[in-house]
Amino acid sequence: MLSLNSVTKRYGAFTALDRLSVTIPDDAYVSLLGASGSGKTSLLRVIAGFEEPDSGTVSYDGKHLNGVAPHRRGIGFVFQNFALFPHLSVENNIAFGLRYREQEPVVDPADVRQRVADIVRLVGLEGLEARKVTAISGGQRQRVALARTLVTEPRMVLLDEPLGALDANLRERMCDELRAIRERLKVTFLHVTGSETEALLMGDTVAVLSAGSVAQIAPASSLFSAPLNADVARHLNAYNVLSGKAEGGHFHADGARFPLPDHPVPQDGAPVDVALRFDRISVVAADAAEPLDAVIPARFVASEFNGSSVLSFFRMDDGTLLQVVAHLSGPPPRSFESGALYKLAFDPRDVISFTERAA
Amino acid sequence: MMEFAGEQVQGAVQAQGGENGASPAERRARQERRTALMLISPGVLWMALFMVLPLVMVIYVSFWTQTTFTVEPTLTVDSWVRFLTSPTYLASTWATVRIWAVVLAATLIIGYPVALFIGLMVRNQTLQTALLVVCIIPFWTSFLIRVIAWRPMLGTEGAINTILLKLGIIDTPLTTLLFSEFAVLVGMTQIYCVFMVGPITFMLSRIDPSVIEAARDLGAGFGRIFFKIILPLSLPGVIVGAIFVSVMVLGEFATAASLSGRKVNLLGNIIVSQVGSLKWAFASVAGVILTTIIAAVITVLLRIVNVRKEM
Repeated sequence: MLSLNSVTKRYGAFTALDRLSVTIPDDAYVSLLGASGSGKTSLLRVIAGFEEPDSGTVSYDGKHLNGVAPHRRGIGFVFQNFALFPHLSVENNIAFGLRYREQEPVVDPADVRQRVADIVRLVGLEGLEARKVTAISGGQRQRVALARTLVTEPRMVLLDEPLGALDANLRERMCDELRAIRERLKVTFLHVTGSETEALLMGDTVAVLSAGSVAQIAPASSLFSAPLNADVARHLNAYNVLSGKAEGGHFHADGARFPLPDHPVPQDGAPVDVALRFDRISVVAADAAEPLDAVIPARFVASEFNGSSVLSFFRMDDGTLLQVVAHLSGPPPRSFESGALYKLAFDPRDVISFTERAA
Repeated sequence: MMEFAGEQVQGAVQAQGGENGASPAERRARQERRTALMLISPGVLWMALFMVLPLVMVIYVSFWTQTTFTVEPTLTVDSWVRFLTSPTYLASTWATVRIWAVVLAATLIIGYPVALFIGLMVRNQTLQTALLVVCIIPFWTSFLIRVIAWRPMLGTEGAINTILLKLGIIDTPLTTLLFSEFAVLVGMTQIYCVFMVGPITFMLSRIDPSVIEAARDLGAGFGRIFFKIILPLSLPGVIVGAIFVSVMVLGEFATAASLSGRKVNLLGNIIVSQVGSLKWAFASVAGVILTTIIAAVITVLLRIVNVRKEM
């Protein structure tokens, strides 16, 4: 179990990690979601030991890791650019850690060969052992980087945007394989990514990193359905987030007014943020007669066709942009007229409200 | 407009027919060969006139007949026999090789850590360039001044002796500092060290820092990382630096002449003095032997690493 306690890391005037505390469980796939500049890479580098925090502690199973050199931490790091040894073959890249580590190096060449062969089979690199790493494809390099780390049997593996350098269909395949490999080895993977779909798909547990600290850590499904604050909701890229005031149990903002849920209890006049899922909104004509519980009037801007769904953009009178997703499995969506006024209707029970606004 | 386009097409068809129906790819390849030939011909011409031709001439002249004041194109091996049977000349051949080996080792031992610092520790490119420029500041003065500057440094009443005397480490000035083989080694190492630092720095600065971090993360300590990652990746730079230093040191004569007090006679010094006394045939023999040594050294160095593949 890896614990970070109130870890702060500054680069000059910039605070990359701000009193960050988090606990990463054993034998789990944890994904860490954060926008670029949120401190993702700094966090990994502090855990791996390439950098020391300015304050706070990093510990593993209660033992302090502060001041322990990276090669004595037993934590594997898979680099975003793979960082393979360009002068060595695939096999020698993978064997590097076993042969040359300071603690308990494997001296028996037959043993090294056996372990390398096992891991090569696990990641699917058979037949490429003798190749130079400059003569293999991007996906294969990714596997070498992973195998090179896994063969040393670390207690935890940090993956810095491991799929970022791969093309789309390869990325999907690697997703499945990463999960399968992890389940077989029973080590913890901490997978950093800027993509919310990747984070939710990969992680049993998802942590959202925002402004240098962990905004929420929860199982993927509960994190998605119940974000803890507006910041987390924004990161999930599935919620419209509106800011306004509570008035008589209703949300109130320029051009929008609808009932707020009972929890948390809305205080009259207090600022409140609400999150509304893209796919829980239906679009009705502005002059529709049927009574609706909650509506936001907005003008149609544009649509994006995504294959299985259509994403439409609407703009409220105060300029706020709202997104609506219509899945094509349902009735075919109507086409909207650019600039025309529509009503965005939704069930007020789908509204998630946050009374404590994130700074 | 239509007509104009038609003319163009017709012109292209004619051009194709004019070149015996060669495909566009073939014509492009031919064009590129022509361009390449034009680019290399000045260099090839220059080298042929001023390097290959003189070299052949030197080999030829080394077999001419030498009398006291003249040299005649009557072929003989006299000069070769004289060189290869004379202990003096064989000794200076040996001195040349020995001084080359020591200077090469010294420039490597002193230059590599400097390159390690500039190429690997300094990650700011502007600062890197600035530090390399600092390394070549001595080259803003002439070669002879750089060499002669060692005299007030190493002389009997020079800076080093004065300091050692003042500190009470020695009672009488060291006389072996200047006008000795030691002085030649110091002078050459100082002058040629930068040619070792430059290429190694270049190769080291191309190493991705995350590669070194990856090796650390995999559990390797500093020594392993140095010998298994950093050194192999910088080896092409070491070889290029070694070739620079070797070529310059083996052909040296000025440093030896001015710092050894004529005690150290390198092959270069022999050539200079023999040419000075118009012994062209004998100077040619020394020249051929020196050129052969240099060629052998470069061949061996290039065998160590395939520079073309690694750069």
